[in-house]
Amino acid sequence: MNARSDIPAFEPVNLAQVPMPRPALGDGRLALQLRVEQVTRLFGGLRALDGVSLDLRPGEVHGLIGPNGSGKTTLLNLLSGYYPPSSGAIRLGDEDLSAQPVQRRAQVGLARTFQKPRLLPMLTVLENAVLGAWPHAHAGFLATSLALPSVAREDKILLDRAAELLHGVGLGHVLHRRANLLDHAEQRFLEIARGLALRPRFILLDEPAGGLTEIEIGHLSDVVQAIRGAGIGVLLVEHHTDFVFRICDRVTTLNLGKMIKSGTPDEVRCDPEVIRVYLGA
Amino acid sequence: MTGAAHSKKIGLVLGALLVVTLPFWAGDQYQLHLAALIAVYWILVAGLNLVVGFTGQLSVGHVGLLSISAYTFAILGGTLGWNPYLAMVAAGGLGGLCGLLLGLPSLRLPGFYFAMATMAFAMIVNELVLANPQLTGGGIGLPGPAFPAPFDTPAGLYYLVAALAAGVTWLTWNIARRMWGRAFISIRDNPVAAQAVGVPVLRAKLSAFVFSGVTAGFAGSAFASLQSYITPDTFVFELSLFFFVCIIIGGRGSLIGPFLGVVVLTALPEMAAPLAKLGNLFYGVLLLVVVLVVPEGIGRMLELIGERIRPRVARHEAVKPDLARLTRVLAEQA
Repeated sequence: MNARSDIPAFEPVNLAQVPMPRPALGDGRLALQLRVEQVTRLFGGLRALDGVSLDLRPGEVHGLIGPNGSGKTTLLNLLSGYYPPSSGAIRLGDEDLSAQPVQRRAQVGLARTFQKPRLLPMLTVLENAVLGAWPHAHAGFLATSLALPSVAREDKILLDRAAELLHGVGLGHVLHRRANLLDHAEQRFLEIARGLALRPRFILLDEPAGGLTEIEIGHLSDVVQAIRGAGIGVLLVEHHTDFVFRICDRVTTLNLGKMIKSGTPDEVRCDPEVIRVYLGA
Repeated sequence: MTGAAHSKKIGLVLGALLVVTLPFWAGDQYQLHLAALIAVYWILVAGLNLVVGFTGQLSVGHVGLLSISAYTFAILGGTLGWNPYLAMVAAGGLGGLCGLLLGLPSLRLPGFYFAMATMAFAMIVNELVLANPQLTGGGIGLPGPAFPAPFDTPAGLYYLVAALAAGVTWLTWNIARRMWGRAFISIRDNPVAAQAVGVPVLRAKLSAFVFSGVTAGFAGSAFASLQSYITPDTFVFELSLFFFVCIIIGGRGSLIGPFLGVVVLTALPEMAAPLAKLGNLFYGVLLLVVVLVVPEGIGRMLELIGERIRPRVARHEAVKPDLARLTRVLAEQA
């Protein structure tokens, strides 16, 4: 029954090489930046992104705004590795992630949520959240099938932490509810909890405020602040501009695949070009 | 929750009691044989369940793996006179190896293309068996060796396969309720989410598939011994569909469901002896009823009944973050 050894070796996350816990605040050594360097992405003849540069810093909320079709989602998909840039590079510290597969993002601590929440409908809220901790689950298939004591111990640690995160984001009352029975706001917060279960350095939030009420956006805002406070970098793609300008440290505006303005919320809000193409007078 | 766990435990104890005492209350030798056959099928289906029910990969080729390992067992244990237990372990290993060789190219294929690849595999195996009569006996077949005492009687063999089936059930249950089981379900229900959390999709599919090859290997050995004679006609493609249908009827992502599927689909046509000729009609009607009435399968039906008996209070509460708790858990070091 030696199923495991027949299979091509999988590189477990080496914690020595990849310092998963975020840097302690003020500790500059591990404070890697996620850099987008002169990235262009072509789809046939369409320049979905055209020479865009951006950097995400730990413990900072970076907003990404722009009209529909401006390239926000393309940039997010490049960062998550669903396709590579046509030219330019995406780096985490010294590592070039441009051509790395999606799974590698999780290993280096890059989490994301989706515009339309992607949950597992038949699993409970807790099981959905703990799946985010997959890179920290080291138990092999064979060890798991034989129920070695270390497997149960590890599973309990991961489940306990996922449960704490769920209580933290406000889903403590539905831990054992099936995900297909959640309302929209609960699904959004569950996706954030799943992302945090990864112990990310950076989390990419794709329109997290979409479909939320004002009160829920307030809660979301609190949660994002707490994430920032823990030294995690946040990229916030969002149409809800009030929310973006209220919460972000820096904001980048895209239009037709090009960056038109990047700076503090006040600088961006007052930029005539941003007002012309996006905010309106 | 604890109430449900309690009734599960009682069900498990009662089930075990039934399995252990079965030879004493079974009506005749044939019923005992049928019970042993159910256990043998379950050994295979339990492994296949991880592939089909959990990972969502539509394999309809497992009769090929069953055939390979049954012949391996018959050749090693019969023709070459190996110790039957050793022959069984070898057949299990070969089943796993075949699973790897079949899965490595085919598991990259999406949905129906994978199903077609496994179907082609099952057909090729049967042709190869016919084409090598000096090894397999061709159309005449081979005798399946018996296990030594105390497993040489019908009751003894029954206990042996029941124990194997229990062991395989335990292994799959361990997988299903931990991270691997969740990862399998994520591949089935949302591959994009699976990738995003870092699940190595191909490697996970292969793990499940190789495991199912190993269980098919053990099932094939037990099958050859139980049938006492195997021919290519034993390993018809319908048998593969039968395994697949057991899982679909039983319900995806459940262990008890597919098990009940195997029991019902094996026993029902035989129990209704006067109607034995209508066996296929039973499959057809049952499949139709399940798909129309409980498309999520027997397993889900049991859950729904459980929830009816013990309704859960579903009160709605708004999402209310506990920021102190969130900050604390985020600050904890690995």
